[in-house]
Amino acid sequence: MQSSRKLLAAFLAPAALLYTVFLLTPVSFFLAFGVMRYDAIDLFQPVLTLANFGRIVLDPFYRSIILLTLKIAALTTVFALLVGYPVAYVLARGQSAWRGVLMFLVVAPLMTGEIVRTYGWIVMLGSEGLVNRFLIALHIIHTPLQLLNTQTAVVVALVHILLPFMIFPLISALASQDADLVKAADTLGAGRLRAFIEVTLPLSRTGIMIGSLLVFTLSAGAVVTPALLGGKAVQMLGQTIYDLVLHTLNWPLASACASILLVLQLCFVTIQIRANRRAPRPG
Amino acid sequence: MAEPILVLDGIVKRYGDVTAVGPISFTVDDGEFISLLGPSGCGKTTTLHIVAGLLQPTAGRVVIGGRDVTDLEPRHRGMGVVFQSYALFPHRTVFQNVAFGLRMRKIPRDEIRVRVRKMLDLVGLPGVEDRLTDQLSGGQRQRVALARALVIEPRILLLDEPLSNLDAQLRKRMRQELRDLQQRVGITTVFVTHDQDEAFEMSDRVILLNHGHIEQSGRPEEIYDTPATRFAAEFIGNVNLLEGHVVNADGPQVMVALSETLNLSGIAARPGFTARDPVYLMLRPERIDLHKHPPIGQDALAARIRRRVFSGDLMSFELDMESGHSLLCTKPSQDEFRGFAPGEAVWVVPRACRVLPRPS
Amino acid sequence: MLPAQADLTNRDGMAFATGLPVRNASHTLRALPPILLRLFVALVYLFLLGPIAVIVATSFSPTHSMAFPPPGFSVRWYAEFLHSDNFTAAFRFSLVLGISAAIIATVIGFFTAYAAKRLMQRHGGVVQSLAMLPLLIPHLLISISLLLVLNFVPIPDFASLLAGHVLICTPFTVAGIIASLDGVDAQLEAAAMTLGASRLTALFEVVVPLVAPGVLSAFLFAFVVSFGDVYIALFLSGPGTTTLPIEIFSYVQWESSPVIAAITTVQIIMIVVLGLVIEKLVGLRRIMRV
Repeated sequence: MQSSRKLLAAFLAPAALLYTVFLLTPVSFFLAFGVMRYDAIDLFQPVLTLANFGRIVLDPFYRSIILLTLKIAALTTVFALLVGYPVAYVLARGQSAWRGVLMFLVVAPLMTGEIVRTYGWIVMLGSEGLVNRFLIALHIIHTPLQLLNTQTAVVVALVHILLPFMIFPLISALASQDADLVKAADTLGAGRLRAFIEVTLPLSRTGIMIGSLLVFTLSAGAVVTPALLGGKAVQMLGQTIYDLVLHTLNWPLASACASILLVLQLCFVTIQIRANRRAPRPG
Repeated sequence: MAEPILVLDGIVKRYGDVTAVGPISFTVDDGEFISLLGPSGCGKTTTLHIVAGLLQPTAGRVVIGGRDVTDLEPRHRGMGVVFQSYALFPHRTVFQNVAFGLRMRKIPRDEIRVRVRKMLDLVGLPGVEDRLTDQLSGGQRQRVALARALVIEPRILLLDEPLSNLDAQLRKRMRQELRDLQQRVGITTVFVTHDQDEAFEMSDRVILLNHGHIEQSGRPEEIYDTPATRFAAEFIGNVNLLEGHVVNADGPQVMVALSETLNLSGIAARPGFTARDPVYLMLRPERIDLHKHPPIGQDALAARIRRRVFSGDLMSFELDMESGHSLLCTKPSQDEFRGFAPGEAVWVVPRACRVLPRPS
Repeated sequence: MLPAQADLTNRDGMAFATGLPVRNASHTLRALPPILLRLFVALVYLFLLGPIAVIVATSFSPTHSMAFPPPGFSVRWYAEFLHSDNFTAAFRFSLVLGISAAIIATVIGFFTAYAAKRLMQRHGGVVQSLAMLPLLIPHLLISISLLLVLNFVPIPDFASLLAGHVLICTPFTVAGIIASLDGVDAQLEAAAMTLGASRLTALFEVVVPLVAPGVLSAFLFAFVVSFGDVYIALFLSGPGTTTLPIEIFSYVQWESSPVIAAITTVQIIMIVVLGLVIEKLVGLRRIMRV
């Protein structure tokens, strides 16, 4: 039926148009800047060069930014994993009516947006905020700590904001595991802990990878949280790109930095595709 | 001789490199009830969908009432279709479901009401018009689906395993009702099923499909008594198939060597058998005579009863022959056969053997 | 009795720690980890919800201080929010932008989802994966690229901002509507077509009523995504086209005042309500399974 082919084209046209015109073209265009030479007046010169990438790697200023970004992203990921895994475990295995509510409570903060939650941490970590008041009340400290404008604050807030992105892939991975596997391990003599280490943990490998990469890439590209909670002490890749684009107007360099972020994100995608191919699809 | 109302001519359906169906060709006469019978994956539903216009064939033509409809959309073909899942609109009442087709044809409201009510009576569902379809039982939903398909007065009724979701008792009853309804209305029907009993009980003609090809086509008795291939023989009912080689072929009568000591003769399923051709000797379990003592004047074979199964109206005997072959023999469970016990020695006279080709 | 007991201790922590009587010491010891686990998880939830609770509490503070707990109760900051032209304008703008982006993303998402699920015989999965493209690209990058385009092609500011939001919302609407279509028997449309409906008629008579809850949920989720976005608006906001998050971002960088707490509390309540509606309609999990 020829009409169905025309119908198909008509139905796919809007998305195709949207993505080509507003996504693929502009992004390719901008990424191309990464290999163009910077020009203070015209924005760029149409001359191919690797100077921008070179600068990122060689210039100590930019190198330190990248290292700091990697460090904070790594710390965030590790803590998100440690904190999120038990939650995912309980949510995946649980059967109570609470499960729906608990899931909702994980998603809801996510939907409020990064600004809301970063602001929440500004309030919590202030000199009169909850954390300081709590510590003073417990006599752990006597004067309020300077918690804002530190790397710690940024990591804590990022963990908080990105936790759902770690929890959901883990829940997927854990929930798709046959609950009988642990029972089987138990009948074979393994203790609870042993069963967990030898059976559950390795099988949730995919979830761990996906969640970790998601959290890593999202924290590497963060702008608002480091800006508001880290201040001068924290200069990450996202903020750098922001400055380069809006203040310094060095677009080629900004593009080179953004490419790094893109590469990180694509690593995540590749691993997820490979994981999907290996794991049997549910249903 | 009237024109057949439905003609499939060289229909092929390919998906990439895989040929799901074809080429197949068959015709259906006006008022006939034919079944497309076969195991899952044999292409029967695909063929039905091609007839309905829901799938485009890769090659071949579909002709309805003398008109080539291969390129025509489903709604222009004048078919009524009942799907395996019934596909009743869940957000509509029974009345709205059945009226749907009439609404599409812009029939005036009053006429719709009359026709829908009459049809619901015809299928045995008076008074459920205003219920939502999820509130109905399986059997009732099936009737609604039927009513919906018939009310538009289609030329051909297509049924895709409409009884498979019903429980056994209901299934048996619906078979008869469906067949009665079809004969009363006189509508040409194509019925898809994997259930051999169903096909045989309801159809004027059966088309047996295997891996997208027509294995055999004909009246139920024909396929049962004279299957053309091993597949056809095994698919329908129980059968004994003994491997052997042709000794000699004399017209339709063929002598088959089953072992060094045992030769039996049978009617050839197809012409052209020559000596040493590998063949099957086919023997239906109910076509074996069983005797306690060697019958006079007949060539009987010695056997021993290994097992006996009683299934109410039938007795099944598993027999071990002297030659080492096993045979299944079924007899009505009358007194004379109740006396045969496991372990006993008996004498066996095979009747109506057929010789089928065997791939080497 | 004993086999059932043994079975209980081998089950997951939840089932065991429901307070059923324990027979001997070794069972008690084995009960410890599950209880610790639940305690830990409770603490994590405290961590997750803490900042939100703190914001709400602070919004009612009668003074300028951001102390916790707040020294009293007052709604002065809400009044200040309502009197602030900047913030109310930004809130209104975010609403308009969110609704517009959500409508467009939902419509595009519907057609794309239907094409992928019903009109494509075999490669529907490819279309679905391609629709997820914006998720692969850091929002930062999308935003800057659109800013670049603005430099060379004269589109109104609002258009590029709208385009950016539609881009980040579409993967969710596509995924959500595909999930809804999964729940609708494809044979329903086939039945409608054999009864005389054209494909489009079948679509509107049969499919649309059945996926309506899913489409509504997709719309609401798209709205939430748009409203909460920072990164796209970061580069594409301008005078007259400032979203609420950006307005807050600028303010917080220079000043500190509980009025922000009031604004964000309003935002939180709005989003939680929408979230509950979505959960009621189709369940948030479906959309999150992107």
